[in-house]
Amino acid sequence: MPVRVVENSAPSQVSGANLGHTSPPACTLLSVGQAFSGTQNVSSVQKDEAWRVNVRIQGCDLDHGYLCGTMEALNVPMADTPVVTFWEGEIVDAKNYTFFTGKWEASPEDDIRHWTKFPSFSPLVGQVEADGGKSLDLSNYQYIFMRWKEQYFVNVGTDCGLTIAGFYYVCFSCNDGSINGFYYDPNSSPFQKLELKSTNEGRSGFSFSSYELQ
Amino acid sequence: MPTSASTHRPEDLLTRLRSANADADAKLKALREVKNQIIGNRTKKLSYIKLGAVPAVVSVIAATADDCSSVLVQSAAAIGSFACGFEAGVQAVLRAGAFPHLLRLLSNSNGKVVDAGARSLRMIYQSKLAPKYDFLQEKNMEFLLSLLNSENENVTGLGASIITHSCETSAEQNALCDAGVLKKLIGLLQGSLSQRDASLESIATVIKSNPEVVSKFVGPENGRALSAVTELTKDRYPRTRLLACMCLIVVRNTSPGCLQDLAIRTKLILILLELLDDPGQVGDEASFALSSLIAEKEDLQKLAFEGNAIDKLCNHLQKGSLQAKRFQGILLALADLCSKLENCRSRFLALQVMNSVIDALTHDSGEVRAAACICLRSVSRSVKNLSAGNFMNETVVIPLVQLLSDTSTSVQVAALGAISNIVVDFTTRKSIFMQCGGVKQLVQLSKSMDPTIRLNSVWGLRNLMFLADNRCKEGIFLELTASLLASLICDPEPSVQVQALGLVCNLVDGCINSVEYVFVEDSIILQAVGKQLQSTLKAEVGIQGMYVLSNVATGNEFHKEAVMHQLFPQAGNSTQPIIIKFLQSNDSRLRTAAVWTVLNLTFPGSLGAYGRFVKLCSAGILSQIKNMANDPCLDVKLRVRTVLGQSLTFDIIHPFLRRPATTWYNPLISVFPFRAVVWLARQMGTDDQVQKSRTMMQPTFLFLVF
Repeated sequence: MPVRVVENSAPSQVSGANLGHTSPPACTLLSVGQAFSGTQNVSSVQKDEAWRVNVRIQGCDLDHGYLCGTMEALNVPMADTPVVTFWEGEIVDAKNYTFFTGKWEASPEDDIRHWTKFPSFSPLVGQVEADGGKSLDLSNYQYIFMRWKEQYFVNVGTDCGLTIAGFYYVCFSCNDGSINGFYYDPNSSPFQKLELKSTNEGRSGFSFSSYELQ
Repeated sequence: MPTSASTHRPEDLLTRLRSANADADAKLKALREVKNQIIGNRTKKLSYIKLGAVPAVVSVIAATADDCSSVLVQSAAAIGSFACGFEAGVQAVLRAGAFPHLLRLLSNSNGKVVDAGARSLRMIYQSKLAPKYDFLQEKNMEFLLSLLNSENENVTGLGASIITHSCETSAEQNALCDAGVLKKLIGLLQGSLSQRDASLESIATVIKSNPEVVSKFVGPENGRALSAVTELTKDRYPRTRLLACMCLIVVRNTSPGCLQDLAIRTKLILILLELLDDPGQVGDEASFALSSLIAEKEDLQKLAFEGNAIDKLCNHLQKGSLQAKRFQGILLALADLCSKLENCRSRFLALQVMNSVIDALTHDSGEVRAAACICLRSVSRSVKNLSAGNFMNETVVIPLVQLLSDTSTSVQVAALGAISNIVVDFTTRKSIFMQCGGVKQLVQLSKSMDPTIRLNSVWGLRNLMFLADNRCKEGIFLELTASLLASLICDPEPSVQVQALGLVCNLVDGCINSVEYVFVEDSIILQAVGKQLQSTLKAEVGIQGMYVLSNVATGNEFHKEAVMHQLFPQAGNSTQPIIIKFLQSNDSRLRTAAVWTVLNLTFPGSLGAYGRFVKLCSAGILSQIKNMANDPCLDVKLRVRTVLGQSLTFDIIHPFLRRPATTWYNPLISVFPFRAVVWLARQMGTDDQVQKSRTMMQPTFLFLVF
């Protein structure tokens, strides 16, 4: 007999007792070793341009709202080789981090302006405007919101002519492993869009690897 | 005129002690001489012990009448000197039967004799070799109370020392508390310096890990005892401050509800950091006390970080030429500080003390070597630095690999811990570890009879295999061999099984050709995985085992069918397939792994997907998955929806799961090639059925497109 799938279209609010103690869902598609590929649109007034981008998750610590990995930009015009950067992510979990960045030259208005670019953010916007989303229970929401900040260049020097001054507003879909993001840097073109899809690297399905630190 | 040197020769002194004809005065002089020569001199103590001096002194005490107080005092003092801070001395004293004679002195009418006896017994009770005191015997408890009630501070100190040495079980702690000993010890906190110190140590022993006794200590009289101990953390004597801190740490570790006050916790950290500067034993022990305060407690580690603990500990490291005990304590405290917080690790690495830690890896003391490894293990939990390849260099790796053949098992285990983290390395430098002979050593240790060594070595190999390139994988596999890997999967220890399965998971991940590894030697590895899955009772083993099958199921038709064979090992057998049990597990991680396996087995685009789908339906697996459409775990629910979405493509030819297509549409699967559905239908039967499938497919297909 067919079963009806209950849709959780909007996250609920947490009760006062649990305020600030919810974690986003553990999602196997966002676990260590997982790879994503896609593009970042870096178009400016002068020309349309998109760089191919590969991302690999290297570390995930949901308790601390932490995620990290590498990002590889493939067809960067001023670089001879692909440019790899290491980034660290803040997971918006209402416990460790809220929707308000509070640093990196991002005002609450900048935050809202970027988050609202994600359709999946629309059910949350009211609550976020009210309290930064502190009272939201995101533990069963199908989307995970993050900020990814590149920390250093892995394979090129800082004199490579590229900047990692900005950061990404990121929305991950637990459903299909797709990632959308917008790069924010007051000194760069606004709303550079990052679009990534979970890759299965030529396999007929999804493969997983893992490590465990001691 | 100088006296003859011969009278002070050890042999002569012992002759005098042993002589039945020697008068009390001669024996007294000889005893005093022996005592003076051995005080603070381990070499002398040892040479006298070898000459048989201890039995000679004990025979004097045994043969001396109670009223001959001078000889009794000197004999007791000499025995105490042999035992003081010297295990071989304690052993000799106990072997010579001194204990009952010293106890006899406690009931002597002369206060000096009692004092000497008590002092000597205290020396013995400071050693682990001292006999255990049985508090549960009523007579013994009475005797202990009589000691604690004494006016003589050495006698009360002895009572406290007996407790510190012998109280181990909660029954003993409760008995001491019920007999009023704890109350008495609290009273002694107002006594002399020596009584305070002895009492603080004993109180810590009586309340340790016993919340019931802690509540009796903390509760009465508005926490008067706790206030008294807190006050002693400000005492002018460093040892008293340290012992008071240690007592409060025991309270906090036993009953985390106590000492919630942030100010007290911060104060404790600051006092301990200050005590690190003490050049003696107090400074040595302060770092151990700091460790016990902050271990596993992120909030306290944060406080310690804010109190500049990393800088202070690193300053001591940079001073160099540290005694082994202090070196070990500082390394362990740094290890605890860096165990959870990334900002602590960053600060540690910024202070450039890695060279000191690397030097410690080759220290003479095994305890220092192990502590250095534990420190490296904590610091290398930094994924940020692992990603930068900051630990994978020969300076770190070579000494660590050498420690894998250390004579001490605890050093080997500690080195394996550090190696397990360092080899995660996300750069292309895993080869450095291999070139240093690391893989060979890990594989060798994975055959160890010691389960801890086996576990940690397989753990290291599993992490080394994570995202390893083909060359690296090949190198590890050649060294490890398929048969050893299969036997590790079937290891008697479930924890080893988990790591071995994790290793296989990583082995078959990455390049698609890697899947072939589990098929070598007649699929010995895959068979072992299947066997473990059928028999295991541990969720962790099930999870890792299912991910192995799931990864193999991302391969070609042959690979997928081999996984099916493991899920249904006996054709025609009516027993329920193990995967159903996993899908029904209370552990959402196991349910997730099991659903991923089904998802990969029925992944669109593979030719045999329909056949497998039919088999999974027939075995009741798809029905089970249907029941999980509202699983409380979001990850499971979403994968279930994907599987059900995939099953739509088979639905037209297998009525088992017919239902509205809208229900399970999932974007994870892109549009299933229409031609493949037709092909599948063709595999099923006649052209009529194909035509029927074409007709039936239209609405579903259109819906999938939009």
